[in-house]
Amino acid sequence: MADPVTMTINGREIQAAPGTLVIEAARKNGIEIPSFCYYEGYSLQAACRMCLVEVEKAPKLMVACTLPVAPGMVVHTESQKVKDARKYTLEFLLTNHPLDCPVCDKGGECELQDMVFRYGAGESRFTEEKLHVQEQQWSPVVFYDGPRCILCFRCVRACNEGMGVGALGVVNRGSVSLIAPNHGDHLECDECGQCIDICPVGALTSGTYRYQTRPWEMEHTGTICTHCSNGCKTTLGVRNDKIIRGNNRDRSGINGEFLCVKGRYAFDFYDHPERLQSPMIRVNGKLEPVSWSKALKHVAEKFSEIKARNGKFGVIGSNHTTNEENFYLQKFVRQGLGSNNIDHKRTGDVVTLIDALSGTTGTLATTADLYEGKTFLILGADLAIEQPFLSFQIRASMRHHAAKVFVVTSKEVREDAYAKKSIRKAAGSEIEALEELREALAAESDLVIVFGSSVKGEAVRKLVAFGESLGKPVKYCALVDYSNSRGAVDMGLMAELHPGYHPSETPGMTLPEMLADETLDALWVINENPLEAAGLASDKAFVVVQDLFLTETAQRADVVLPSASAYEKNGTVTNVCGEIQRLQKAVTVMGTKPDLEIIGLIAKEMGLAPAMGPWVSETVYGEIRRSVKGYDIALPLVAMAAQQTAPVNGRVNVADKSALIQGAHETLFTSGTLGRYSKVLNSVIEKRAGMSLAAQEESHV
Amino acid sequence: MANSLTDVFGAAAAVAKGMSVTLREMMSPTVTENYPDEPPKFQERFRGAHVLQRDENGLEKCVACFLCAAACPSNCIYIEAAENTELVRISGGERFAKTYNIDYNRCIFCGYCVEACPTDAITHGHGFEIASYNTSTLIYRKEDMLAAVPAGAKPPVVHEPAEAGAH
Ligand code: SF4
Ligand code: SF4
Ligand code: SF4
Ligand code: SF4
Ligand code: SF4
Ligand code: FES
Repeated sequence: MADPVTMTINGREIQAAPGTLVIEAARKNGIEIPSFCYYEGYSLQAACRMCLVEVEKAPKLMVACTLPVAPGMVVHTESQKVKDARKYTLEFLLTNHPLDCPVCDKGGECELQDMVFRYGAGESRFTEEKLHVQEQQWSPVVFYDGPRCILCFRCVRACNEGMGVGALGVVNRGSVSLIAPNHGDHLECDECGQCIDICPVGALTSGTYRYQTRPWEMEHTGTICTHCSNGCKTTLGVRNDKIIRGNNRDRSGINGEFLCVKGRYAFDFYDHPERLQSPMIRVNGKLEPVSWSKALKHVAEKFSEIKARNGKFGVIGSNHTTNEENFYLQKFVRQGLGSNNIDHKRTGDVVTLIDALSGTTGTLATTADLYEGKTFLILGADLAIEQPFLSFQIRASMRHHAAKVFVVTSKEVREDAYAKKSIRKAAGSEIEALEELREALAAESDLVIVFGSSVKGEAVRKLVAFGESLGKPVKYCALVDYSNSRGAVDMGLMAELHPGYHPSETPGMTLPEMLADETLDALWVINENPLEAAGLASDKAFVVVQDLFLTETAQRADVVLPSASAYEKNGTVTNVCGEIQRLQKAVTVMGTKPDLEIIGLIAKEMGLAPAMGPWVSETVYGEIRRSVKGYDIALPLVAMAAQQTAPVNGRVNVADKSALIQGAHETLFTSGTLGRYSKVLNSVIEKRAGMSLAAQEESHV
Repeated sequence: MANSLTDVFGAAAAVAKGMSVTLREMMSPTVTENYPDEPPKFQERFRGAHVLQRDENGLEKCVACFLCAAACPSNCIYIEAAENTELVRISGGERFAKTYNIDYNRCIFCGYCVEACPTDAITHGHGFEIASYNTSTLIYRKEDMLAAVPAGAKPPVVHEPAEAGAH
C-alpha cells in the first residue's frame, strides 16, 4: 500500500491513504462534514453542495465529497465562510421544499430537518409561490412526493448500482427536475424499498409505514429475517405489540442496510386474519378449537400409546424454526420417542460439500467473502431473485473491487448483464461448463463458488475437485432456501445424520418415505407443508401439525397446534453461509406458543421432561454448544454479530441422499407458506421474466 | 369624666371607620364567585381541559404529528394516526388522528402540548370540572375534546371507529 498522505483538517494533522476523499478522511477522524448526495459505497454525484469546505490556497470553497486528499493540504470545515455556505445551500434547498414536517413520514429522522436545525437559517427570505406537484404512488410500497425531493440522486444510485435494477431516473431539468419510475406512472422493480430507506428526506415513503406513527413512538427490535437463507438482520419497529415497519438503518448485522422486499415488508404474515390462535382437535371429522392443555394431553396420550406398541413415527421438521427448536425436536424424537424417522425438506447439498471439503480449513465462504472476493462463479442459481443479499454483496464487490463474475445457469439471470462470461447449461449439468472457464478462472487470484440445488451429489465432488485443481484459494457456498435450512442440516433434522453431521447407526425414514409408508402410525409436522405437493399414504396415521396457518397439511391433521413465528420468539438461526445469528422476540400473538415450548410441553405430558431437560432456548443452546461440533460459540458473541460456525472437518460417511434435494426456487415475492399470507408480497405486480434486463435498459442516469 | 367622653367619641369614630369600609364594599361589585350556582369566570389564559380545534371548514386541525405526545412531560397523550382518503377526509393535512386520548389522571396542565402543536390544533379550554369517582373516565377521547363544527361549515365525514383488537 502506498504511503499515507499527511494533511491538516481544522488544525489537526491527520493521515489518510492516497485517493481517500476529504469527506471520508474527516469522518474517520471524527470531524463531521455534512452531506446529502455523498453516500458511502455508491458513485460520487457532487450534486448538493452541502459538503463545501475551505481549502487553503484554493480560490473557492471545495466540494469535500469528490476532493481526494493531497499532501500538505490544509482544510477548514468550521470557518465562517463554510458555515455561511451551508446556510445558503440549505436556504436554496428549502426554496421549494414544502416543509410539511408535521405530516411528513420522515419527520424525526429526516436529514434535511437535522441539517437545517444545525446549520440552517432561522427564517426564509423566499416569498414566491412554491411549485407543487401531486404525490404519486408508484407501487404498493413506494410513494413519491416530488416537492420534498432534494435531488440528491441517492435513490437512483441505490437502485441502479446497489440493486442492479435501475428502475429510477431523473426527468426534466433545473427546478422542475423530478425522480421518475421506469414504467411511466409506476415501478416494476424488486420492490425492495432501498430507495425509500436511503432517501434523506420524506420524498420517497413506504406504502405500509405511511402515516402510521413516528420513529420515536416505536420500540426497535433487531432480529433476523425469517424468509430466505441469507439471514439479513432486520430491525422491527413495534408499537402496541404490532410490527409497523422493518428496516436496518443502523447498518448492524451482516447485511448493513440491505433488505429485500421480504425482509422489509413481508413480516406482515404474522397478523394475517387467518393466523391460527387456538389449538384444534378433530372431532367427528371436523377440527374444533380446544384448550392448550386438552390438545397437549391428547397428543401426549396418542404418542405414548403408539410408542408403547412400538408404532411407526414420522417427524418432519422445519426450515424456519430455530436451532434450539430443531435440536430439541430431534433429541425428543430420537431419545424420547425412540425413532430415527426425522427429516426436513432438503434444499441444498450442504452434506456432500462438507464431506468433499474434509481436511481443508477456511473453505466455506461467509457472506463477507461474497464482498471481499475478487472472482465469483455462480452455478445453477438465479441469485438476484433467489438469494437477494448474496447477489447484492457480489454487486458491491464489483463496484468496489472490480470483481469478475462468471455465471452458469439454465436461463437468463440478472448477473448476465455484468458477468465476464455467462454460459447456459441445463439444470443439473452446470459442471459441464467448468472446463470452458478453467483458463479464465485460473488467471484470477481467488475464487468464491456458489451453487444452487441443481448441483448436488457427485457434481459437488467434481466441483470441489475442479476448485482444488485451480491451485488458488477457493471458497464454497451451497445455497439453501430458507431462513434456517442450514441450521436444520447442522442440527440433524435428517434421517441419516445426527447433529453435527454424525452418521446415524440406524438411519430412519426420509421425508418421502414417511409420506409413502402405508403403515405409518403418527406423522408430526412442524412448520412445514409436505402435503401441499404429495399425499399421505397411511390413512390411519395420527397427524399432529404445528403451524401458523391452516395449510394443506394442517387440514389433514388430527391435532393442530398454533405456533409462534420467528418474530415472536428468541433463539438462533444459521444462514446459508453457516453464520449463526440471534433472533429476538418482537411481538406476541395471543394463543400461540413457540415450537420449543410446544415440544417441551408434549415431552412433559408424556413424563419425559426430566430426560429432555428444560425447553428454554438459552439452556438448549448451551447443550448445542457442548454437543454440536462447530457451534461452540458463546451466546453474547452471537448477540453481538453473526459468527460463522465451522462444522466438522472430516468425512461424513453416509449414503448419498442428494436425490432428495429439491430447491424451492422462491422468488423475491414468494416465501412458501409465509409468502402466501403476506399482504405485501401478494400485492406487488412484478412479472419476473426478463425483468432485470429490461429494467437495466430503461435506466439512463 | 373627660376620659370617658374621649372613649365614647373614639369608639364611635372607630365604628364609623369600620362601617365606611363595609359601606364602600357594599356599593362596589362583588369578587366572590357564586360557583356552583353561577358559572365561574376565567382569566383568558387559564389552562383547563384541552380542546381539539377545527378549521373554518370544520375539518380537524390535528394532523397526528405526535409532537404534543413527544413534548408531554407526563406522557399522557396517546395518538394513532391514519391517512385521509378521497372518501373520508377528517383533517386538513394528509393524515389525521384516528385516536387521540389524553389521560387526565396524569395531565399536569403544563401547556407544553399546546406550545408544541404546529397547527394550533390542541388548545387549553377553560373546562375544569373533570373530577370523577372513577379514574377510567378520566381518559378523554378525541370525541370528548373536539370543538363543535363552526356554524355554516360543511360537517366533515364522520369517521368510522377502527375495529377493536389488533390481532
Ligand atoms: S422531508 Fe424532512 S424537512 Fe421536509 S417535510 Fe419531511 S420531515 Fe420536514
Ligand atoms: S428496486 Fe424498486 S424498491 Fe428497490 S430501489 Fe429500485 S425502485 Fe426502489
Ligand atoms: S427521492 Fe430522495 S433519494 Fe431520491 S433524489 Fe429525491 S431526495 Fe434524493
Ligand atoms: S435477502 Fe433473504 S434474508 Fe435478506 S431480507 Fe431478503 S428474504 Fe430476508
Ligand atoms: S398539558 Fe402538559 S401534561 Fe397535560 S397533556 Fe399537555 S403536555 Fe401533557
Ligand atoms: S455531499 Fe458533496 S456535493 Fe453533495
